[in-house]
Amino acid sequence: MSASAAVSREPRGSAVNGRRALARRPLLFACLIAVLIAAIALSLSLGSVDIPLSDIVRALTGGEASRDAWTNIVLRFRLPKVLTAALAGAALSVGGLLMQTLFRNPLADPFVLGISSGASLGVALVILAIGAPGVALLAGFGLAGDLGIAAAASIGAGLVMLLVLLIASRIRDRVALLIVGLMLGYAVGALVSLLLFFSIPERIQAFINWGFGSFGGVTWGQMPIFAPIVIGGLLLCATLAKPLNALLLGESYAASLGVRLGRVRLAIIVGVGLMAGAVTAFCGPIGFLGIAAPHLARSLFGTSDHRITIPAALIVGALLAIAADLIAQAPGSRTVLPLNAVTALFGAPVVILAILRWRGLRASFE
Amino acid sequence: MKFRSLLAALIVSIALTPFALFSVSADNLTESCVESFDATVDYFPEKVEPRFSEGWRVSYHNNYKVVDVLTPFPGAADIDAFQYVLVQCGTPAPEGFDDALMIEVPSGALIALSTTYVPHLDDLGLLDNLIGMDSGLYVSNPEVVARFAAGDLLEVGSGPSVNVEAILDAEPALVLAFGSGSPDYDTHPTLIEAGVPVVVASDYVEGSPLGQAEWAKFIALFYNREALANEVFEAKAASYADLTALTAALSDAERPAVLWNGYLSYADAWFIPGSDSFAAQYVRDAGGMLVLGDAPEIQDTAAGVPFAFETVYEAGLDADIWMPGTFGVTTLMDFVAQDERYADFAAVTNGQVYNFDARENANGGNDYFESGVANPQLVLADLIAILHPDLLPEHELVYFRNLPKE
Repeated sequence: MSASAAVSREPRGSAVNGRRALARRPLLFACLIAVLIAAIALSLSLGSVDIPLSDIVRALTGGEASRDAWTNIVLRFRLPKVLTAALAGAALSVGGLLMQTLFRNPLADPFVLGISSGASLGVALVILAIGAPGVALLAGFGLAGDLGIAAAASIGAGLVMLLVLLIASRIRDRVALLIVGLMLGYAVGALVSLLLFFSIPERIQAFINWGFGSFGGVTWGQMPIFAPIVIGGLLLCATLAKPLNALLLGESYAASLGVRLGRVRLAIIVGVGLMAGAVTAFCGPIGFLGIAAPHLARSLFGTSDHRITIPAALIVGALLAIAADLIAQAPGSRTVLPLNAVTALFGAPVVILAILRWRGLRASFE
Repeated sequence: MKFRSLLAALIVSIALTPFALFSVSADNLTESCVESFDATVDYFPEKVEPRFSEGWRVSYHNNYKVVDVLTPFPGAADIDAFQYVLVQCGTPAPEGFDDALMIEVPSGALIALSTTYVPHLDDLGLLDNLIGMDSGLYVSNPEVVARFAAGDLLEVGSGPSVNVEAILDAEPALVLAFGSGSPDYDTHPTLIEAGVPVVVASDYVEGSPLGQAEWAKFIALFYNREALANEVFEAKAASYADLTALTAALSDAERPAVLWNGYLSYADAWFIPGSDSFAAQYVRDAGGMLVLGDAPEIQDTAAGVPFAFETVYEAGLDADIWMPGTFGVTTLMDFVAQDERYADFAAVTNGQVYNFDARENANGGNDYFESGVANPQLVLADLIAILHPDLLPEHELVYFRNLPKE
């Protein structure tokens, strides 16, 4: 019901194109998945250290590469990294899609409710404020030893999310909620800059390094925490496709279709909050992907139907993240570029092109 | 001191007699002013000259010194340089230095906006002049810490939002600040505008540890303490040279591999010090070899260069010693908890991980960046004791700390 309604909101006059696009979809999905697999393979075989392909295959298939360090680099560096990139990219992309729908705002991203600012505050407290006592504080939560920065970021993100949830349960108006989220972000951001202001330069550098973002920080030891949260969040979001489609038509219309608005909104915030919090905690504040990937997914498939766009955004997000990480590794050189610079620098033109080609953007948000 | 000033005054008065055409006073006036000026007298018989520093120079005239700060920030051009004219008090200011700040010496009350000036002030017996700093949180000098605790020192902040009112109210004779080249961090433009006598002393721009330590001489200029500065610094330089001689003849095979990465390298980007950095110079002088030290990426730069973790992993796995430059870590267990892959490194297995936080205070202020900057001979001795324990068996580590297993 709602899906056909959403599809019907595609630009007028493109009905034929739309039907053609519809027929193309399985093929498009197959292509995207093939490209994703290729990107994963590329990401495993390219890196700062030159490892022959045969050694990589041997390491991946349970054998030993000709050097121990190489086996380790493939299995304990590249494999968790590409997995992290895929999960983080998917999480940010789907999270961004949901936020854009929830707020009917093409500029929304998973961090629009101040979650990344909360994570920054946690990290800033540990890195900047008072080194040792900060860690001691976290040790009280039994987390410092294992995760350090990630733990601090999770706690910060979690606290802000709790606050947002509390407010969301009291505010009916989503525009008000959007503003509250933005304000929370500003307030928490201000605390971070205060901390920065009173810190010693060496630590500020450490904080800046964290802010560059990275998929390489998640080890196998941390994966059992990171992966389930992200996958759980993705699954939760996937169940929301139908009510999301209804939301596209406006809240009152959705309500008349029997969508329980309050519950759906809460589910969206919890799902997106979990994913964004986990990604920020483990990878740093990764910008851009959350805004860009959903637009790319919508324009590729020429629809706003969430039964299509959720899986599409998931794949496109994972793909973009892996591609960005590949570029950040600057294959052939031994240096690395800051991930956040790469995502925006190489991603922005791609998204602009996609949006120029697809004129359905307005329709999705009107 | 009193005797010295008396003597100096006596000599000056002798110099004033018309017959004493070639008379020269023996000492600089460290406490007093000239009472009757004689243009033919050299009022600064004790002089300093930078031997290692490249960021400043001084030219002496009979009753004034012209001091140039050539590199107020890294990469500064000629036009960015600052000039200061230090005039012996009680003598007339020279003409023709319209753009330079005139400062009477020996100067008086001082506000220091970097902890790196503190050890020099201590060495030169000038701590009594200190009336304030940017912050009391990160300083390590025990006397300064005590005076902050007693509420005797001002905290004025730094950068463009420095507390100008507090500084004006305190009426310092001299404010020492460092330049960054960025209006977001620079303090001196704000202070210059407010008419505060601020001197840009960017000691950190120096290319070598001895060059930075030699800024003791620069600070001495403002208090006519040249003699003491020479004595103190040359002793350190000689000690540094003696230590370097211990390791100079070591062959490459005898030089342990040292993995040294910059302050908290997060996840992917591992900062390896450039070949001109202090870390690289120290490791060279201590008879070691940096992991990735021959990489083309790090040649001829003092900056840290980011490498991918997997590159560092491959290159540093067998390193004998690891200097991770980290914080918030007490034991090897804490360290490995940051990233389980650290446990693969030989230096971790062998307990050869050293951190420079032996003298870190509760707020994260690290004496390595304070007295360590003024005492490169101590830093070098630490490193030699770590790399070649047999060469300095008696030495007890000052700034570095071996991370215990638990």
